[in-house]
Amino acid sequence: MPYNPGDDVVLVQRGPSPGGAGGAYRAFGETLRGLKQTFQRLTEGTKTIQYPEEKVPVYPRFRGRHKLHRFEDTGLEKCVGCSLCAAACPVDCIRVVADENTPENRVSAGERYAAVYEINMSRCIFCGYCEIACPFDAITLGHDYELSDYNRSDLIFTKEMLMAEPLDRTPLRTAGE
Amino acid sequence: MSTLLFYDEIDKPGLASLSTYHDIGGYSMLRKALDMEPQAIIEQLLASNVRGRGGAGFAMGRKASFLPKGDMDKYLVCNADESEPGTFKDRELMQKNPHLLIEGMAIASYAIGASRAYIFIRGEYMHQADVLDAAIAEAREAGFLGDRVMGSDYSLELWVHRGAGAYICGEETALLDALEGKRGNPRLKPPFPAIEGLYQGPTLINNVETLMNVPHILRMGGEKFAEIGTSGSTGTKVVCVSGCVRRPGNYEVELGTPTRDIIYGLAGGPPEGRKIKCWFPGGSSAPVLPGTDEYMDLPFDFESIAEAGSMLGSAAIIIVDDSVPIVDVALKTAKFYRHESCGKCTPCREGTNWTVKMLERIENGQATPMDLDIMASVCDQILGNCLCVLGDAMAMPISSMIKHFREEFEEHIEMARERNGLGAAIPVMNRDERGPDRSAEYSAVGH
Amino acid sequence: MPRPEINWITFSIDGREVKAPENAMLVDAAKYGDVEIPVFCYEPKLGQPVGACRMCLVEIEGIPKLQTGCSTPVKDGMVVHTQTERVHDAQRAVVEFLLINHPLDCPVCDKGGECPLQDITYGWGPGTSRYIEPKRHFVKPLELSPLIAIDRERCILCYRCVRFSQEISEDYQLILNERGAHSFVATFDGHPYVAPFTGNIVELCPVGALISRSYRFRARPWDIEGAGTVCTLCPSQCNVDLTVRDDRVLRVSARDNDEVDDGWLCDKGRFAFQHIHVDERITEPLMRQDGKLVPVDWDTALTAAAQALGEAGPRAAAIADGETTNEEAFLLQRLFRERLDCGNLSARPGGDLPLPLARGLADPALQATVPDLEFAHAVLLLDCDPIDDAPIFDLRLRKGVRRRDMNLVVASARPTALDANATTVLRHAPGTAEALLVALDAALSDDRGNLGGAASAAGSSAQAVQDLLEDLTSAGGDIVILYSERLFGGPRGPQAAEALLNVANRLNLTGEGAGLLEIPIGANGRGVREAGFAATHGPGFAPVANPGLATHGIAEALAEGQLSTLYLLHTDPLRHMSDGELWERALSSAQTVIAHESLMTETVATHADIVFPGEAYAEKEGTLVHPDGRVQRLRRAIGHPTPFNRHPGSGVRAGWQVISDLAKLLGLDFGVFAGSMASQQLFAAVPFFNGLTLDEIGGRGVRWPAREAARLAFGETSREPVALDVPPAAAVPSEDALRVGTFRPLWSSKEVDVSPILQYARPTQVVELSPVDAERFGVADGDKVEVGVNGTQVQGAAKLRHAVPEGTVFVAEGLSDASSSLFNYGTVQLRRLGGSAEESPINPIIGMPAIGESPFNPPRHELRESPPGTAPRMNE
Repeated sequence: MPYNPGDDVVLVQRGPSPGGAGGAYRAFGETLRGLKQTFQRLTEGTKTIQYPEEKVPVYPRFRGRHKLHRFEDTGLEKCVGCSLCAAACPVDCIRVVADENTPENRVSAGERYAAVYEINMSRCIFCGYCEIACPFDAITLGHDYELSDYNRSDLIFTKEMLMAEPLDRTPLRTAGE
Repeated sequence: MSTLLFYDEIDKPGLASLSTYHDIGGYSMLRKALDMEPQAIIEQLLASNVRGRGGAGFAMGRKASFLPKGDMDKYLVCNADESEPGTFKDRELMQKNPHLLIEGMAIASYAIGASRAYIFIRGEYMHQADVLDAAIAEAREAGFLGDRVMGSDYSLELWVHRGAGAYICGEETALLDALEGKRGNPRLKPPFPAIEGLYQGPTLINNVETLMNVPHILRMGGEKFAEIGTSGSTGTKVVCVSGCVRRPGNYEVELGTPTRDIIYGLAGGPPEGRKIKCWFPGGSSAPVLPGTDEYMDLPFDFESIAEAGSMLGSAAIIIVDDSVPIVDVALKTAKFYRHESCGKCTPCREGTNWTVKMLERIENGQATPMDLDIMASVCDQILGNCLCVLGDAMAMPISSMIKHFREEFEEHIEMARERNGLGAAIPVMNRDERGPDRSAEYSAVGH
Repeated sequence: MPRPEINWITFSIDGREVKAPENAMLVDAAKYGDVEIPVFCYEPKLGQPVGACRMCLVEIEGIPKLQTGCSTPVKDGMVVHTQTERVHDAQRAVVEFLLINHPLDCPVCDKGGECPLQDITYGWGPGTSRYIEPKRHFVKPLELSPLIAIDRERCILCYRCVRFSQEISEDYQLILNERGAHSFVATFDGHPYVAPFTGNIVELCPVGALISRSYRFRARPWDIEGAGTVCTLCPSQCNVDLTVRDDRVLRVSARDNDEVDDGWLCDKGRFAFQHIHVDERITEPLMRQDGKLVPVDWDTALTAAAQALGEAGPRAAAIADGETTNEEAFLLQRLFRERLDCGNLSARPGGDLPLPLARGLADPALQATVPDLEFAHAVLLLDCDPIDDAPIFDLRLRKGVRRRDMNLVVASARPTALDANATTVLRHAPGTAEALLVALDAALSDDRGNLGGAASAAGSSAQAVQDLLEDLTSAGGDIVILYSERLFGGPRGPQAAEALLNVANRLNLTGEGAGLLEIPIGANGRGVREAGFAATHGPGFAPVANPGLATHGIAEALAEGQLSTLYLLHTDPLRHMSDGELWERALSSAQTVIAHESLMTETVATHADIVFPGEAYAEKEGTLVHPDGRVQRLRRAIGHPTPFNRHPGSGVRAGWQVISDLAKLLGLDFGVFAGSMASQQLFAAVPFFNGLTLDEIGGRGVRWPAREAARLAFGETSREPVALDVPPAAAVPSEDALRVGTFRPLWSSKEVDVSPILQYARPTQVVELSPVDAERFGVADGDKVEVGVNGTQVQGAAKLRHAVPEGTVFVAEGLSDASSSLFNYGTVQLRRLGGSAEESPINPIIGMPAIGESPFNPPRHELRESPPGTAPRMNE
């Protein structure tokens, strides 16, 4: 027995059935209306950005790839391996293993430094909490958003990768743009 | 000033020797005491209403009556760790009349049933300790101490223990710790020493002068003794006057004598052409009082001084005249307490340290008037929150100085800043034009 | 002093009526009303409060000044306020004061995230500080000891560590130097803080001033997870909490259990966890091929072992020790008894006791608990030194003496660490504890003849024995006798047990709060026995038809070729059995030695033919029985290690699984597929464990002697005193021969040997002798000497101890080298070999290294600057 929907059925108001002059008008009229827009824009030239040949500039506060910083004067790492970024990270993509500075091997300014600092970029949601959590301004989010790779394990960025000057691949939006 | 208990014969040659002391009737009161019931002696002490002369001013008779009765190891300890700046009465008393102290201690020990007594003497009082040692040896030889005192059933051993130079050991529980061979740190009260003191036994701790009163109380009788002085502060008091006066020294006065008589009369007042700026009524830990007439007319007794917002303490009057900057006084006082803080409890350890650092900044011209508010607030945070009274002992005088001499502090800050070329923290204007105190509105700048 | 009665009263806190025990400190009483009063210096475990930090100030109606909540006992009707403006002001002031000199280097500090100072500052602090002056500076961090780094800038001078050293472990090493704002924590003489319980101060420290050097910079609190289990490194079986990061144990902390450990741990328990992750770990099955141990897969190893056992049949034998769980012992004895028809099982290095005696000693009525050590009227410490045998008991006894007026009576051959706390100390000749017990029994039964004879056999006097008895019984009837399983070592073990039971019966130790407490030699010695792993009885002391050989018998039979296969479960007979020489022969002549062991010890390397990788305790699941009968649970904290790049399951496997697989190959299916199933079988098989469940045991354990059903299931044991004969007299020292006694130092274990941080504590042979004898033999402290008899020699450094009786020397046993397990009691010759050995040994229990020496290997991180003992620089 077919299902009887009963009174719960709400009838959908439909337009008039296609066909006839009204139908022709609806078919072409609407198309022309759309084309009007097209022709209007035709003179303006192309707006498509030819990525990757061309790139959209980002705003200064864009949150892209992370960077770990050094002190400019001493060259020591700012990061002391406190793991607060890892604590703040909502997706748990940061892993820090600390170690102690020795007079022979001084890496950071404080007593400890990050022996291992890894960010799993395939997990990162670029929320920037790590930057906010950092008590030493050691980590900031940069502008690079081109992070795709062929291998997932290559997306785990090590400290060396994060320390290195990132490729200047992303143009920054200037004041006028 | 008619009655002198200690000073009538204090300069008698050879008073420190047993023979001279005995000649003027010494140790007769011990004889009398040994024939009395211990409880009867305590009754006399209660009747005399003699208050402790060490600083706190707690009635000696009541303290003695707190000790549990019964057969147990009880102790009497004489607090001769007289380290309070400005106080030097016990030194003279012990040096010149040691046997009076020994007699007083023997009577008090008998009264509370202690068979061991100690004199904890300040380490720097080497001469006085030697005098006491010699006197005790004499007294023991003559049978006033040791087994079967004066032929009675009562035995008493008395030792002199020399301190190692810590002000905190004048605090009774720290003194007990030091006596036990530990680091001299105050203990938590309760339990009070009267219940659990030296070696966990009930212990009576009294100042030298208090204990020296005991033979006099027995001689005169408690009620008679209570007639000296005022109703709340009975007896006489040795007052140490020091600072900017012409005749500093120890003076014995009846309690209740007008302050003016002591400072201007006995001590001769400030040097020519100077005025008294302020004075400490009871050693450096008492809040200062201004040198105005209002305060000069105060009767010098426990109640009146307390009512005026200070305390009688050890009755060491330190006079500061108008040639002395108040900041110097404050800094010196605070430095003393920072140095002597034992470090056990937080407010005293950190608070004294902080206060000194702030006063140093004032002195160096790196402060602003807001620091005065912080300093007053720090002192306020110390007051009453410490384990013992050492923290309070710094906080009280410093906050009283800020209270009474805020203008001078501010002026000092300005002058020092000027000297340092730091510029004025407050727009300089004629003092009279300045109007009400608005220092709180200014924020700390210039650091 | 018996336990105080708790009287419940009602008081008001913040306007709420709260019921709390009378005289509890306000801080504790407030918790009954869910009110938290912040504290720094207060720690109930440390005894009397000191009221130093002033954080806990509260307002009490009727008292004008604010009072410290930590030191004010709550009284009925008290009205307390913790939320008034005055209280808040005081709390904010104290936090502000404390932070004046605190460096606020939380990101670098290991305590950050689990720091009471942080928590309280957030909760009760003022938020900002008005302090702008320079802070106090110290050189930091300094090594306070090989185990602990101290950062004095972070210290808030709460006195906890100092109080621990002064009042709990009573080593009196930590003090505060200087005074006022210049105070700092240091050791009394500048030596490193080396003592058996130092690690506890790390846990006590409310800030990051004291940091364990093994945990320094290893992890932050949000990187780690905790896993509660039980430490199996000694019979104390302390409850511990393992800190795990990335499947590695990084730290061991106490998991407070008043009934077991009172919240303390010894340094061995706290730092020897490093043995779990060292290169010496055996991570895969090995077999001897061409004289060398080579890795094989499990099937090969199990098949070979099954074949060897199957061929041997009744000619097999097994010994267990150490961290063996009840389940492993139970399954292995099932395999041996049911499949091999073989009863050669032993977990007692000294040999098994006859069944009635073993049962008699385990009688639930006679069992004392650990807290009884504290609350008893008197405790007799019988020929053992808890500091070596079960260190946590040492602290418990100290607490009893210090806080509960307990009478401690020591009767031992070797001077104990507790002598100073004892009311009476009786020194008897080594190995004559039995004679002493006979003398005690005689004194109790007024048998003058036996008393004199036995007392002199023990090298003591009748008067001394009577004095001891007087002190033991004068305070009251709650008497605990704490003894070591070593009492039953040697051929006269059964007689010693008889004597002990006699004394217990005569003293009537069956009541609450009284009894016997045995310190087994193995960490789970009691559990292994109760699971039936013994030559003389089955699970639950059930009689067996054909008792097998005990330890000594197994060794002899092996040496003579009567037995062929030996299964070693977590044990190293060469190191831990007396008669090491016999065992050397036994192991050499055994056809197959199967070693189930977690660490590659010398015995395994030389003698084992088949090696099963064993679990470390952090990887184990199962149950243990504490010396006082508490069944405790081991829970798995980390996964089993697997060799690099091998599939899971190829590495370490659970003990129950290995035994069960072995049994399956021999045709016996236990039907055990999980650790809990093994536990269930055990609980069903042992009558007095019946009805126990793992859930019931939980995290705190269950004392089976306290369960009514278990008492009924155990049944009665004979309580009639029996006639005792006087044992032979102790050897008499002569002009050139000295009596010899042995002891097993706390630190002599394979776990300590491989833990990098504990290398400083690794014991070396020490010959303890009295200064009188030393003078006679021309020996100075530290000289190299040799003791020996009949060609068996042990060399070590002379250690002069005044407390050692004349004519006696003590040598350590159970060491990895120069072990004295070669001696039985008797006399030895002593010979001086030369001056101080090059490296002066430190015995952390009684000695400390001299200033300037670095007695320990450099740790992973060399701490910078000043050597220990240099005064810190003040730089204000």
